Amino acid sequence: MKTNHESLWALAAAALILPSSSALAADKDASSEEVIISRAGVLPSAILEMTDEPGKWFKDPKSGNSFVVVKPGEAVLIKMTETNTDHTITSLAWQPGASKFPVDQEKPSNSSVTQTFDKPGLYVFTCKVHPYMLGAVIVDDPQTRGLDLGAELQLVTGAKVPSTSDFAKKLLRTFFVTTTPALWRDYRKPNWEVKLPEVEANLGGKVIKLSDLNFSAPNALLQPQTPGVGEVWVDTQFEGVSGKNKYGTATQIDASNWTIKQKVKGVDTNMNNPHNMWTDTAYRYIYQTEWFDKRLTTFDRASGKVYNTQTVGQNPSHAMSNPLNGMLYVALNGEDRVLKLTPGEYPNAVGSINTGPHSGPHGHHITDDGKYMITPNALASSVSVVDLGSEQMTEIPTGGVIPIAAWSGMGHKAYIANLLGTPPAMLSSLTLIDIEGKKKIKDINIAEDYDPISGTHKGEAYGLGPIQTPVSPDGKYVVTANFLSTTITILDTKTNKVVKSLPCEPGCHGVNFGHKKGGGYYAYVASKFANDLLVVDMDKLDIAGRILLVDPKDSQITANFGMGGQGVLPLPLADPGMLAPTLKLAGTGKLTPEVEAWLQLLTKEQRIGS
Amino acid sequence: MFRLGSSLFLAFVWLAESAMAQSAAKPPDAPVTHLITLRAGTLPSGQMAYEMVSHKIRGPDGQESDLTSRYAAGPTIPGPTLVLKEGDTAEVTLEHGIANSAQPVSIHVHGVHYKIDSDGTMKVLNGVADEAAFPGKPYTYKWNAAPGTAGTWMYHDHAFGSPMVGAEDKGLFGTLIVNPASGKIPALIDGKVTEVDLGDVKREFILWMHETTFWGQELNHIIKGGKEIPLWTNPTLGARQGELVRFHVIGIGTAIHTFHLHGHRWIEPGITSAAGTSDTVNIGPISRTSFIVKAGEGVGPGDWHYHCHVVQHMQSGMMGDFRVIE
Repeated sequence: MKTNHESLWALAAAALILPSSSALAADKDASSEEVIISRAGVLPSAILEMTDEPGKWFKDPKSGNSFVVVKPGEAVLIKMTETNTDHTITSLAWQPGASKFPVDQEKPSNSSVTQTFDKPGLYVFTCKVHPYMLGAVIVDDPQTRGLDLGAELQLVTGAKVPSTSDFAKKLLRTFFVTTTPALWRDYRKPNWEVKLPEVEANLGGKVIKLSDLNFSAPNALLQPQTPGVGEVWVDTQFEGVSGKNKYGTATQIDASNWTIKQKVKGVDTNMNNPHNMWTDTAYRYIYQTEWFDKRLTTFDRASGKVYNTQTVGQNPSHAMSNPLNGMLYVALNGEDRVLKLTPGEYPNAVGSINTGPHSGPHGHHITDDGKYMITPNALASSVSVVDLGSEQMTEIPTGGVIPIAAWSGMGHKAYIANLLGTPPAMLSSLTLIDIEGKKKIKDINIAEDYDPISGTHKGEAYGLGPIQTPVSPDGKYVVTANFLSTTITILDTKTNKVVKSLPCEPGCHGVNFGHKKGGGYYAYVASKFANDLLVVDMDKLDIAGRILLVDPKDSQITANFGMGGQGVLPLPLADPGMLAPTLKLAGTGKLTPEVEAWLQLLTKEQRIGS
Repeated sequence: MFRLGSSLFLAFVWLAESAMAQSAAKPPDAPVTHLITLRAGTLPSGQMAYEMVSHKIRGPDGQESDLTSRYAAGPTIPGPTLVLKEGDTAEVTLEHGIANSAQPVSIHVHGVHYKIDSDGTMKVLNGVADEAAFPGKPYTYKWNAAPGTAGTWMYHDHAFGSPMVGAEDKGLFGTLIVNPASGKIPALIDGKVTEVDLGDVKREFILWMHETTFWGQELNHIIKGGKEIPLWTNPTLGARQGELVRFHVIGIGTAIHTFHLHGHRWIEPGITSAAGTSDTVNIGPISRTSFIVKAGEGVGPGDWHYHCHVVQHMQSGMMGDFRVIE
């Protein structure tokens, strides 16, 4: 305790010192230049708020656009106050030589960034967890004609492309379509019209109009001639729902007649960006991840009734079960682990498997013998192989940029889609992994026939920006949805060469296989920025159908009708190993008559694989 | 000083006692009424912010004086720092100046006393009224800085966008300082807990910790009449060695921060012993600290770093300098 004397002593000392500094200030006549020693920091000229709102993931609160225009020397604040989950703020493309670039937050968080821009041109930002969240800053020198986009773009992959190149134009067009819901492909209209503003853009001296990138295509739905077996679930992740402030539904399609059975909307307090689904052995439940949130929702497959919504961790992306014991594995894309849960109405977390530091596993896959799990580590340029018996994990560096999806095929080999390729040689790639050997076999260039400058593609290998990459149930093919080239590439697993390239929709994303009635398989392809589901006939390697994902009877849908197609779950499961536990239940009374009927439609080849 | 010779100690005591006697003899400033008009508007970036329109004080004799010129022109983040003294009252009128929006905007204040109709919330929360400004319809709040309300407090919106939450996260926040009626605050000066006369504090630095950014402001008391200077993001705070400066550090948003200032130590409000010295404080949303240091005490001039000690926040640039010059 202080005494009076101590206190007085200190006060006296202070009294002696203070007049000198006051006198100093007084001597200088208190002119503000001399008195104010503080120096102000940066005042941002513009802001981009990261949101969960489809298309507006980096939103300028003034214009509502996903880009802002500033002058050289000005700063932009990018912040995360409008989103339910963690993200990274990461440069996707920037101006070569710009100071303090690239921007990259190593780990997902809710941290903001205030960035000053010195060099005129285009700067594109994304989130490594959700790499289609796009926002841009255009640093425009008022002295030049048109909006300055710069002569070149430095890409996060290490490549540098002229802004007049086909690749840069693809990026620009993709940016505008991705961030403008009015430009998404709506199959309720006769045509898809992409009209950009009549604004001049300066590509390092060459002036173009943004509207030079305009294009138009007819919209034609197509009913597949041969029905499928069972049903197909598609996460229509961007549909607006009445009374909710977050987006997303799960759409159930009857594969026997290609009609929509229902749209599941989850609990009243949002089902925030439902991304990927899985089911249990008896097909009673759907486990639904909420990717822009922290939750897993479990609902009744037949009725859509929600049993349970639980917090599982940051950015749950994909869910998949082990066919040996039914345990459910949910990848936590914003963390470094996969959560292990018991199956049922109320999944119970019983453990978690670390996938490596700063790994951010996205679309994991479990081998159909239940021995291994493979995680593509979106934030780590690596793949982890987990022995599900011992839960021992081995991380394999691959060099791929944003490994996003994995799928294991025959012979314990897995294909990994690298969203942004494998630098320096490959603009677009799949990595082939030897699961038992725990090593990378090779990278496969799926865009080797594409010239990024001219845009010509003379062969079939024309897939840019691969996302989901499943191996067909018969092991013959790998089907990949490529968002940047808007193509589906089909790879022959014997040669690991692309044998076919088919056109897909803007933002094509999720792919999975289902049974074709009478034998064979369909590959179903869902697209974020179109409201149809593509059906690819794997016997013909051609488009067999385009199914509308809009349900005109559902009055609760308020926006982005049928849009946001991502996770695809056809039932019965097409992989023979995944199908086997359900087949074992046939005739035991544990399956509903509906599921029994589906199984009876399967051919011998479909049951055992061929 | 040296001429005091062997009676140095006694002289010190005498000096101190006479200083005490003088301040005791001088009657404390009589309570006044503050007549304040603020406007909620937007910065060029689109961020929302409060702006000072007018600040007058009315003394017990009815005389008014105008303090408006002490504030920065235009909206700022943080908003204008309002300084009251225990015993003062305030009538704070808020104007709606947010372009292209008819949504209500309010001021909800912490710390001081007010009746339920000055809560700054919507009827859905307070059960009484929509206590917010609408376009063309200002709202007036009445605050009473009653005894026991001294401290550093916050004011913020509690209505815009979300009637339950408001838009504090978008920049609608500011600082209210209620100074104690005694005019004195204990501080750690030259290693000892000392009652500092607030009249001897040369500069006050306001730092709001929001997400991964410090938003700063200086209250300069050297300039006659005082001056509030916006310092925006992660600024350099400057003082001369030996000056008494007061920091107010406040959190907002969702993150938990740890505020650390290099080279300086202080005592937290309520601490009366040097055994409670600290140099790092946890700051959560709408929690705060306030302390006085002697610039460069024991360490001298330099660019003394201040920052959030959460590693991820440091990596995002949540830092600045406390520049102490000779």
